[in-house]
Amino acid sequence: MVIRFVLRRLGISLLQLMGLVVAVFFLIRLLPADPVARLVGMNASPAAYAQAAHSLGLDQPLLTQFLRYVGLAHGSKGLLQGNLGTSWVTNTPVLTEIGQMLPVTIQLLTLSFVVTLLIAVPVGIASARRPGGWVDKIVFVYGLFGGSQPEFWWGLLFVFVFFFKLGIAPAPLGLVDPMLSPSPPITGFIIIDSVLWGEFGILADVLYHLMLPVLTLVFILSGPIMKMVRQNMIRALQSDFILYAQAGGLSIRTITRYAFRVALAPSITLVGILYGVMLGGAVLVESVFSLGGIGQYAVRSVLAFDYPAIEGVVLVITALSLLIYLLLDILYAAIDPRVAHP
Amino acid sequence: MSQAELLSAAVGGVQPVRAPRLGGLMVFAVGVVGVMLALAVLGPIIAPFNPTQSAFSTYIPPPTPAALPHLLWQSLSGRGGAIHWFGTDGSGFDVFSRVISAPRVDLVIAVLANGFALLLGVPLGLVAGYFRNPATEILMRVSDVVQSFPVFISAMILVALAGQSMVNLIIALAVLYAPIYVRLTRAEVMSQKARGMVEASRAIGIGEWEIAVRHVLPNSLGPTLVQSSVTIGFAILLTAGLSFVGAGVRPPAAEWGLMIATGANDMVLGEWWPSVFPGIAISLTVFSFAVLGDALERHYRS
Repeated sequence: MVIRFVLRRLGISLLQLMGLVVAVFFLIRLLPADPVARLVGMNASPAAYAQAAHSLGLDQPLLTQFLRYVGLAHGSKGLLQGNLGTSWVTNTPVLTEIGQMLPVTIQLLTLSFVVTLLIAVPVGIASARRPGGWVDKIVFVYGLFGGSQPEFWWGLLFVFVFFFKLGIAPAPLGLVDPMLSPSPPITGFIIIDSVLWGEFGILADVLYHLMLPVLTLVFILSGPIMKMVRQNMIRALQSDFILYAQAGGLSIRTITRYAFRVALAPSITLVGILYGVMLGGAVLVESVFSLGGIGQYAVRSVLAFDYPAIEGVVLVITALSLLIYLLLDILYAAIDPRVAHP
Repeated sequence: MSQAELLSAAVGGVQPVRAPRLGGLMVFAVGVVGVMLALAVLGPIIAPFNPTQSAFSTYIPPPTPAALPHLLWQSLSGRGGAIHWFGTDGSGFDVFSRVISAPRVDLVIAVLANGFALLLGVPLGLVAGYFRNPATEILMRVSDVVQSFPVFISAMILVALAGQSMVNLIIALAVLYAPIYVRLTRAEVMSQKARGMVEASRAIGIGEWEIAVRHVLPNSLGPTLVQSSVTIGFAILLTAGLSFVGAGVRPPAAEWGLMIATGANDMVLGEWWPSVFPGIAISLTVFSFAVLGDALERHYRS
């Protein structure tokens, strides 16, 4: 039954992705932007313009372009062959470029989420122990506050304080000191690579450069996650078996542990959703610190009207978040059989 | 953070947990939202300087706290020229005038985008919830696809490719936020439809459409109202974020995100005021909308 449930969910996700591919492809071509003009410049001769349009395939009918992109046209390599096309600006395959950018974002997000959870979960539990107490009040206000802040502004503020005033953080100019030269990537995740090569100086430098971006994200993400842990904990603490445990005279520590186990499942789901959303939402922090992640790639592609790159970014980010949701659903179905047998 | 609305939408289904009472915070939030709405109307009129015209003296720092009482007295007694309360930025624009003029852009975009999202989403949600058939099922799947778009990147694509203007920003945000309202209204309509009043209306011979529009719809608007406050806040953040990466309104428009972006490099060099003041404005405004949304939600649930 779980397998059938997984297959159904997988099917729905694939349909959703197909809808997305079609929607994005036609949407960006129906909007009144002129990528050729942006590429060849305003003063290009009509002949140069026509030639550029031809080389990009933009002189073909929309449907032909689409079939080529998907890989259904004769002799074309498209999505079905695992080809996301070539960037119009850099002439590099989009998949290669995304392959370089995506690890940066995943690294940043994973690190931020780990730190956030280490802080937010204990605080959320503490505030749930005495609802209405002063810890709870602070957590509640912070939950509303952190979740509604312009993260790029806080990033800049942290740069001003920790780089300009105190001088304990690096300038917001990338992930590694340009004087250092890391060995060629193995996994693409520079933190893992530096460990694999045994280059701990580079590891330290990367962590040094990630200090402020992670601080910014932790500051923002802690709000909603604390609020959510608090909510799930209070709900768990209100259930009958906790009342029974209290009547049975178990220690607060044990009761908290029991309640936490119950509160964990819904919390994991929400953290997963938040992670998926942040894949596209980390753009602003990446821009402030010039980290060169997938979000910055998206900004660059959109502002340059680089259609294949835009389509590729949206497709990859959405596919990844759908994959995360799918994994969460499977995890949930495995824990809670009621999900798979509605 | 434009993603938290998904989170709040995901939490929406479960039973609420009692939140601490924070009456003072509520008063503060109403005050901030009131001031910002007033500035959206009056801001550019009462600004001491033209917000989009250079004063030709760049990087004048704001007055120090120690000098404030003297300057206040001076300006109240009408002596001396106008003062750059928040200093001037790298182009010589008066930061104070720009900060109080920006609600005319930020709040107008956010409120109108939310309004159009409601106009688009609520009727669709009503139809999808009241009449369950293959057509409305397809509608929900389309809404799913739109909702699975990464919000920030999609907004960026729509605005950049359609042309960076206020109108396009409003349309883009309305389209991206509409699915939330479709979903919320549909869920609420489905639960309202099971109530006895619908059965009773049918019994006395009222047509289905009339029941849907006159009886079910008014009872289903609670959650959308709550969500509106939250959505307006996030729309402000999204607008500012888009302008920050250069995909929103164009300079020299007085807009908070744009002001932060133009001041970003100065900030690294120590000139903090062009970015800090508009940031405080966004921070307080969006927080206040979040507090209001939370209060509305509690009021609605009880």
